[in-house]
Amino acid sequence: MSADPKLPETPASEPYQPKIDRRTALTWVGVVGAALAVGTGVVVYGPKTGGGKAVAAKGYGTDPKLNPPEKAPWPRIMTQGQLQASAHLADFVLPASGPAPSASALGVPDFIDEWVSAPYPDQVKDRPVILDGLKWLEDEARGRYRTGFNDLTSEQRRIVLGLLAPFPATSPQGHFFRRIRSLTISAYYTTPAGFRDIGYIGNVARAADPGPSDAVKAHVEGELKKLGL
Amino acid sequence: MAAEPYDVIIVGSGAGGGMSAYHLTRSGLKVLMLEAGRHYDPVTETPMFNTNAEAPLRGASTPDKPFGFYDATVDGGWKVPNEPYTVAPGSEEFTWWRPRMLGGRTNHWGRISLRFGPLDFKPRARDGLGYDWPITYDDLAPWYDKTEKLIGVTGRAAPRHLTNTPDSPDGCLLPAPPPRGFEIFYERAFRAMGIPVVPMHGAVLTQAVEEMNGRNTCVFATPCGRGCALGANFQSTTVLLPPAMATGKLTITTNALVYQVDLDKAGKAKGVSYVDRVTGEHHAATARSVVLAAGSGETARILLNSKSAAFPNGLCNTHGMVGRYLMDSVGLNVTGQFPALEGLPPTNDDGMSVEHTYVPWWAYDKHKELGFPRGYHIEIGGGRGMPSAGLARLLRDDDLSVGDQLRANLRQRYGSAISFNGRGEMIPNDDCYCELDPVVKDKWGIPVLRFHWRWGDSETKQAAHMATTFLEVIDKLGGKPLGHVERDGRKAISKGGEMIHEVGTVRMGAAETDSVVNQYGQSWAVPNLFVTDGAVLVSSPDKNPTLSILALAWRSSDHLATLAKQGAL
Repeated sequence: MSADPKLPETPASEPYQPKIDRRTALTWVGVVGAALAVGTGVVVYGPKTGGGKAVAAKGYGTDPKLNPPEKAPWPRIMTQGQLQASAHLADFVLPASGPAPSASALGVPDFIDEWVSAPYPDQVKDRPVILDGLKWLEDEARGRYRTGFNDLTSEQRRIVLGLLAPFPATSPQGHFFRRIRSLTISAYYTTPAGFRDIGYIGNVARAADPGPSDAVKAHVEGELKKLGL
Repeated sequence: MAAEPYDVIIVGSGAGGGMSAYHLTRSGLKVLMLEAGRHYDPVTETPMFNTNAEAPLRGASTPDKPFGFYDATVDGGWKVPNEPYTVAPGSEEFTWWRPRMLGGRTNHWGRISLRFGPLDFKPRARDGLGYDWPITYDDLAPWYDKTEKLIGVTGRAAPRHLTNTPDSPDGCLLPAPPPRGFEIFYERAFRAMGIPVVPMHGAVLTQAVEEMNGRNTCVFATPCGRGCALGANFQSTTVLLPPAMATGKLTITTNALVYQVDLDKAGKAKGVSYVDRVTGEHHAATARSVVLAAGSGETARILLNSKSAAFPNGLCNTHGMVGRYLMDSVGLNVTGQFPALEGLPPTNDDGMSVEHTYVPWWAYDKHKELGFPRGYHIEIGGGRGMPSAGLARLLRDDDLSVGDQLRANLRQRYGSAISFNGRGEMIPNDDCYCELDPVVKDKWGIPVLRFHWRWGDSETKQAAHMATTFLEVIDKLGGKPLGHVERDGRKAISKGGEMIHEVGTVRMGAAETDSVVNQYGQSWAVPNLFVTDGAVLVSSPDKNPTLSILALAWRSSDHLATLAKQGAL
C-alpha cells in the first residue's frame, strides 16, 4: 500500500500554501532558471491577461519513471493570486465536511495549476477556460465591491461564486464552472481521503477474493426483483 | 548467456517471441533474442499500489501515455518518436499501437485468453467467407492445453458444450473468482434474453500452477494493465523469459530494431541486420535459423524491406502475399448507468482486474436472420474500482451540485455504471493491407509501413447489432446509456487497429501460392525462416488473439526444434 502523497490534511487557510514538496519546487526553479539563462524565454508565469499564452514546455515523454511515479516536469504558470482564487473555488465545490477535509487542504489548487500548465492538448484547451474564468471572477469582484476576489469577505465571495452555476454550459462562465468543478472532483477523489469519502476500500493485497458481501448480494437481488428479473 | 554461434535468432520478445525463446532454449538450442525496445524489469518498474494522486495529471491519459500514466507500456504507444507510419490517401483510419519494450504488449494487455473454436479455423468451409486455416482446432488443442497450464488461465467450470466456444479439458484452467455485484446484476438480463454468461478466461494466477518459476499468485488488488511485479498475470517478461534465461542458452539484446533478414548464397537465412535505436549503429547477427515475431506490422515490414535479386518485392513475397489480409477486431462500447446499483454498501470490487464473467457469442444459428455473418463476445466492466481522473463523468449532465450534496451524489452513483464492450470477428478483405511507403522513412532511413483499411459491411452491421444489444440490456436493467450512442455501424465501429489485435499479414496456408508460411510458421520460400507472431493468423475470430499466438508459437517452435535436431535446417 502506497503512502498518502504527503499532503497535509489540515483545514484550508489563507493565504493558500502550495502543497508541493520542496524538491519539486526546486526542480521547477531549475527549469525556469535554465530557460532564462539560455534566453529562450519560453516560461511565462502568471499571464497578466488571463489569456493563456502557450507555454513551450515539454511533457513527461513516452517513458516516464512509473515506480515511484515521477513528478510532472513542466513549469507551473499560475500566480499566487490565481492559486488563492482556485483554493476559494475548490473549497466552494468541496468544503470540509465532518471528517472529510476541504479540497484546498488536499492540494487541489496545485493540481489545477499542474493541469492548466501541462503541454498536452486536453490541458492546453482547458488553460484559457480556467485562466479567463479566474479573471472574470476578479473583474466581477472589482465591479461589485471595488476589491479583488481574494480580498472579498467570505459572504461577498459566496455571492460572486454563486453567480457561476446559473450560466448556461455554453457560456464561458458556465464552461469554466463545469471544468473547475470536474477538475476538483478528479483531484479530490483520487486521494486516500477521497477514497474514504466515496467509499472505495480496495487497493489492499488479499490472499483470496471472497466476492461481494451478503449485504451487496441482498441489495442486488432486491433490485433485480423490482425489475422483474 | 549463450555465445555465438547461435542456433536461432528470434526477433521480438512478446507473446510469439517469448514463447519461442521459452521452448527453443528448453529444447537445448542457443538463442539470440533481438528486441526493438528497451530492457524492462516488471519487478522494479511496475507501479502496483500507487494512487492516481501520486501521478502527473492524476494519471489521466495523454498523447505520451494514451492508456493513462500507469499503463505498463513504456517508450511506445500510438506514436513512436522517430518511427512514423502512414495511412494511404482514401483509406479509412488505421492506428498502430507499438510498444518499445522487452515483452512487448504482453506487459499491458487485457489478459483475456479465449481459445479459438473449431469453426474459427474453417470459416470458408462454414459459409464461403474468409479463408480456411491449414490446421483444425484439434491440431492446436493440445498446445492450448499446454499453454493454459503454463501461463495460468482462469475459468474452470463444468463442460458447457457451447457452439465454437471450447471447454478446456480438466486440469487446464484455474478457478474464476466469484462474480461481483454488477456481474450478478447484468447476468440476469442476459439470462432473460436466453444468452449465457460464463466465467472469464483470464491469464491470472488465482491459484498456483505446477511450474511457478518464481511467480506469485494474485493479490486481487491492482490493475493488470500496469503490469505485475509479482508475476501473477501473464507477461512474457515474468512468465516466459525468466525460465528461458535460466537455461543459460538465451542472450537478449534490446534496442535492436531489425529491418532485414540476410540470406546466404544458397538462399537460406543466415541472420538479420538491425540498427541500435540508441546509438544509430548498424549491426548484423548470424544464426542457423531465424524466427520473426516482431508483431504483425513489423514482421511484414522486415520481410518487405528484405529485398534481393531473388526477391525484388521483398522476402517471401513472390506471390504478393506479404502484408495482405491484415485484420483487427471489431470494437464498440456503450456504458450505462443503473439506479438499481446506486447506494450499494461499500465492498472491495478490485478482484483480479480481468472481468470475472463474460458473454460468448450466442447466435451461431441465427446469422441468416441477423444479416451479418460473424459474431462477437461481450467484455463487461463495472464495480467500485479505484476512482480515476474521469470520476465526474459519473454524475448527471445537469448536476451542478456542490458541497455535501455533491459528496452525496458521488457516493450514490459511484459503482453504478457498467460498460459493455463488443469484440467481434472481422472477415479479411482486399482493402485491408500494409505495404512499404514509397517515400517515408524512419530516423535510420528504413522505409516505413503504409496502411490501407476499409471495414466491410459484415463488420459494420455487426457493430450496429452490438449497439442495439447493449441498449436492450441497459434498458432491461432499468438503466440509461451515458452519453450519445451512435447506432450507425459505420460511424460507431472502432478504427482499424484500435483494438490492438492487428493480425494476418504473413498468413499460413496449405500452398505457397496463397500463403507465406506453412502450418508451422515455416516460410515456403526460405525453409530456415519462421514466423511465430499474430502475422500467421488466417482468420481473426472475436476471441482475443494472444492465447492463440502463444499456442501456435509453441507448436511452431516445437517443429523448429525437431528440424534442428534432425539437422534439417
